[in-house]
Amino acid sequence: MPGDSVLYSERPEWSDIQPIAQYETVTPVAPIFYSDEYKDATGYFRAVVKANERSERVLQLTEHIIRLNPGHYSVWQYRWSTLLALGSSLEDELLLMDELATTYLKTYQVWHHRRLIITELGGKSNPARELRFIRQGLNVDSKNYHTWAYRQWLLAHFNEDALWEGELPFVEEMLDEDVRNNSAWHHRFFTVWQSGVRAGEEDREYTLNRELSYTKEKIALAPNNGSAWNYLRGVLDFTKTSYSTLRTFIEPYTAPRDESEPEVLDLDNPLPSKDAQLPCVAAIEFLAEIYESEVDNAKRAAELYRSLAEVHDKIREKYWNYRVGEALSSAGQVVAS
Amino acid sequence: MSQASPDELRLHRTGHISHALRCLSGLPGSLTSLDSSRMLIAYYSLSILDLLDGLSEKKKVIEQCREWIWKQFIHSEVGSGFRASPAVCVDEHAETPSSIDSPHLIMTYGALLSLAVLRDDYSQLDRSGIKRLLRSAQRPDGSFSGVPNEGESDVRMVYCAFAICTMLDDWSSIDIDKAITFVQHCRTYEGGYSQVPGQEAQGGTTYCALATLYLSPIPARLSPKERVQTIRWLAWNQDSGFRGRTEKPPDACYSFWCGGAMKILNADGYVNVAENARWLSACQFRYGGISKNPTETPDPFHTYLSLASLAVYQPKVPDDGDAGPGFDATWQLPDHDLLINARRETAEWALLHIPDSPRTESD
Repeated sequence: MPGDSVLYSERPEWSDIQPIAQYETVTPVAPIFYSDEYKDATGYFRAVVKANERSERVLQLTEHIIRLNPGHYSVWQYRWSTLLALGSSLEDELLLMDELATTYLKTYQVWHHRRLIITELGGKSNPARELRFIRQGLNVDSKNYHTWAYRQWLLAHFNEDALWEGELPFVEEMLDEDVRNNSAWHHRFFTVWQSGVRAGEEDREYTLNRELSYTKEKIALAPNNGSAWNYLRGVLDFTKTSYSTLRTFIEPYTAPRDESEPEVLDLDNPLPSKDAQLPCVAAIEFLAEIYESEVDNAKRAAELYRSLAEVHDKIREKYWNYRVGEALSSAGQVVAS
Repeated sequence: MSQASPDELRLHRTGHISHALRCLSGLPGSLTSLDSSRMLIAYYSLSILDLLDGLSEKKKVIEQCREWIWKQFIHSEVGSGFRASPAVCVDEHAETPSSIDSPHLIMTYGALLSLAVLRDDYSQLDRSGIKRLLRSAQRPDGSFSGVPNEGESDVRMVYCAFAICTMLDDWSSIDIDKAITFVQHCRTYEGGYSQVPGQEAQGGTTYCALATLYLSPIPARLSPKERVQTIRWLAWNQDSGFRGRTEKPPDACYSFWCGGAMKILNADGYVNVAENARWLSACQFRYGGISKNPTETPDPFHTYLSLASLAVYQPKVPDDGDAGPGFDATWQLPDHDLLINARRETAEWALLHIPDSPRTESD
């Protein structure tokens, strides 16, 4: 354990090893003022590397250094080749990784090492257990890039229907916890659209409608959520569906709420939630794009973009003004041709 | 330097210069996690000094850095290049280093640029060794790993490989087409690029992807439609500063990654320059250096990228047509080479002084 261990230089079982100090033969740049513990451990590490020693004590030593500096990729690399050379139990190594990945969640190496173990275990590994482990990791840090990357790698690597089956319910759970979790939205896209068409999913029309309904519901819940809008656009682009098909849904989001109008329940086109901040910038942009795609409506598109520049989204004023220009110039081209 | 009026913001240049010099002279034990990337600390710190003209009359620092950086240039079985530090060197006099003491692509990129900041003549450079390193680091899928056959391989390393080829003015050791295909597969439905295919779009990897595509000697630029979508995603990521992923809070480094990506796409006119500078101003740490956000402590990585962003997006002095506080003369920074990510004169130095390929070179 870091902090409370006896230095290797004071351990009789290491007395056969002569530690090697770090070679800093010229004035070092950005030297780190290492703790005595780290300096001692890495001195013995260099010595075992030089001797090409592969042993149980090397595993202990590398684990110790990893706990002091989990990003030390050379130490991970040496540990991995030592595990293989000794034929050590990779199941045990995985248990150790359960602990280390939780403590050092933000370090790439803990996930990479895990990937090596699972790949090496092959048919003996338990990917379903891995999915559960990842879920626990996401409870601690729900947008961790490495954790999500590991999940995507795992699913693609094993590519078993039984594993994929749980992904949509899992994503929905994640989005119920935080509807603005873009990593979860991305994972939804990855699962539904980018990992092939699995048995039972052949009806893409059905899939498209399911995804549109789901996304509309989430937009209704929290309209100013860039992740949901990007997903919506992604689905429409991917399936080559015209943005205009969503016009009825979009319109109520583009203006302040009209309190006088009686609310009509339309399940296909859920209305913005009561406390939603309206008008919604992304909805105005979306409607403007619908206008832009229509004949003779470029001016209306430009007006909407202008309202974003001048009123609703001033931080992006220059960007919206560019969109105004684009809308008008593409209209000009249509007229000219 | 002129005194800033109370309603004007200042770039604390002296503080940032001290921060960089402090990092070059030593880091506390609490930063032991940087042990595997000391060369990058050197690169960021030297690049801070470069942008702020902090190296003039610092002959000793220049000499020491030069000497230490060259000590990290090693020749291994997989090729030659720079390593992060001597942390796993087990015998300085051995002809070939141990298998885990390996040159690294990111460190090689950082070292080549650091040497340009130091105006080195590169006379010790082994060109063909670096070319061998590039060749052995490329994977069958077209990506590159930092260390051949080990660990991470993703769009960041592809970028470093392309930047190194640009500096060497030699692309013969890599498969450009394959690398481009890999980068294109990193494009996501949002219009940004991820670290490897299948993952979420992210600002840093989007910069790397675009810089790669625009450095490529083979035409690989975005289609007009892709360009429009990527600009949209980048523009939406501005929230005073920039965020790296949709719906995340801003972080100073993305002012360069996303802002830089906008400029690569010729969309720099759509960035809110004053807001960006105001955010970075707020990320300045009282005792020098710039942090990822106003509540964190600074580091050379965020400091350099913030300054690089400001070099690309110079707030006007004074800013016109903008309600917030203006900017005094401290914000003026030199021209920046966007694709190489260095002060322009420094990038030019590297291109000019890295020795050309001799005709007799065997590979």
